[in-house]
Amino acid sequence: MEFLRSFSRDRVGLFFAFVLLALFAVALTAQWITPSDPFRISLRQGMRPPSWANWLGTDQFGRDVLSRVILATQVTTKIALASILFAVALGVPLGMFVGYRGGMWDAVAMRITDIMLIFPIILLAIVIVVVAGPSEQGVIIALGLSQMPQFIRVARGVTLSAKEELYVEAAIAAGASWPGILWRHIWPNISTPIIVQATLTLPVFVLNTAALSYLGLGVQPPTPEWGQMLNEAKEVLTSAPYLIIGPSIALFLFVLSANLVGDTLQETLNPKLKGRRQAMMGLRRFGAKTPAERASEQKGTP
Amino acid sequence: MIIGRMGFIILAGFLLLSFLFALFHMIPGDPAVLLAGDNASKDVIESIRGAYGFDRPLYVQYGTYMSHVVLGDFGVSNYSRQPVLGIVLSRVLNTAQLATLAMIFAVVVSLTLGSLSATFWGSSLDKTVTVGSLVGICLPVFVTGIAGIYFFGVYLEWLPIAGMASWANYVLPVITLGTYQAAIFTRMVRSCMIDALGKEFVITARAKGVAEWRIVLTHALPNAFLPIITLFGLGFGHTLGGSVVIESIFNWPGLGRLMVESVLTRDLPIIQASIFFFAIIFITLNMLVDILYTWFDPRISY
Repeated sequence: MEFLRSFSRDRVGLFFAFVLLALFAVALTAQWITPSDPFRISLRQGMRPPSWANWLGTDQFGRDVLSRVILATQVTTKIALASILFAVALGVPLGMFVGYRGGMWDAVAMRITDIMLIFPIILLAIVIVVVAGPSEQGVIIALGLSQMPQFIRVARGVTLSAKEELYVEAAIAAGASWPGILWRHIWPNISTPIIVQATLTLPVFVLNTAALSYLGLGVQPPTPEWGQMLNEAKEVLTSAPYLIIGPSIALFLFVLSANLVGDTLQETLNPKLKGRRQAMMGLRRFGAKTPAERASEQKGTP
Repeated sequence: MIIGRMGFIILAGFLLLSFLFALFHMIPGDPAVLLAGDNASKDVIESIRGAYGFDRPLYVQYGTYMSHVVLGDFGVSNYSRQPVLGIVLSRVLNTAQLATLAMIFAVVVSLTLGSLSATFWGSSLDKTVTVGSLVGICLPVFVTGIAGIYFFGVYLEWLPIAGMASWANYVLPVITLGTYQAAIFTRMVRSCMIDALGKEFVITARAKGVAEWRIVLTHALPNAFLPIITLFGLGFGHTLGGSVVIESIFNWPGLGRLMVESVLTRDLPIIQASIFFFAIIFITLNMLVDILYTWFDPRISY
């Protein structure tokens, strides 16, 4: 309740939270709300400009663009959520483990995440697509793996500070095993920062799904996806420029609202970060550390 | 220190190539069949298998590949039969041009807008810049790029839209990529500058009666430089990542497009070499950032 009250104080964040919820609702009900069949090809009705029958026009194959944009919302949401689940399922246990055990485990894991974070997502994704093949599954594995280091870091950070708490010490004294301590005492601390991180990751995943699909390495036709629709629209840009409107706006709205909701969530759940937040937020997305953090790591203090 | 770093780059490159070699040999499918084509006879496939050494044990293949790489021989392309190194190196230069120009554009724009925005914190100028950069972050390059192609290339017919024949070809790709990076950078430059302008030495300077523009340029900016350097260093890597998509949009004959094309045609020698060169560039950039760091802030040493 307290959370909702302080979240709703941010009017912009609240508005875009509703936009995001609306987009999720569209994604959930996509099969039932498309005005016509998004796969029905009719070359005679190709490249119609927007009209009452086809609000966003029809593409070069005569398919209704609005229906395809709606179905693409579902495809994208599915991929983004699955990638987040994948990254969380791999990254959080790993991060908790290395954070709790410390020592060599921690050093090795941090080195590897450091190196992984240097590379842009698209490059990691391309490597994985080569192996997994261009497909929805390929995108999910690629995105999930590429953002896994971020989740390792968050989980590790929380674990590092939580394991100093008195209740953990008490649990150790009482003879609890380390998996028990991780699950019973440290896990409850982690859910909030992970939710924030997941929300901040959502727009990144949506953008990269679209980018990979634009390049032909992601969602394969005829399944609609915004980036892939833009790629098809570019082929007929001179005769039907209106085809880029639908997918562009949908993509923009989704990414914008996810970004704003993520920022607001972070501010609401993590008031300590306020002010400093923006300065570091951007750098964090690049996986960078502040000079102070680097220096303190050198000295070995967390 | 620099020699140690160079050693690290060589080690990282070696590990990366080994990793890629192992990864690409896990791909299901017979490489000899891939090379020979679907309709090839058994004899042809067998002779290719022998000629390429696919019948030898994996560690022999690995040893051969690595010893050739050391001598600068990355094999030949599966399709054009040209040596891979020549193809890749000619593309590296084109990508470097594109990314560097885009980066210069982004740095100039973001430093100007970010500093102005921070100086006039809360003004309508600040609000415009903040909203503008947020919108920029949410518009991926394939949306702005296609819109730019339509408006400036097709509708106004001012600029060429593909290739890199003359200086006019550079305008659209560089500005599209540069604007996206500038949007990311501006947000962070702004918050770093707001941070710096809130420091006590700024208050002292104001009390001394130093002109406001001088405070911004000579007091705040140099002090905001450390995080900004990290940002630009890592941002350069991400500009290179962004060039993968830009090159596909504008038919730019660079490394990124080469990589995407060879993924789609499964030309493994080219993929391996282009990922290798991309990765070496990223690692080198990261190293340069670290060195710049110690140069700008002598308190930090590695």
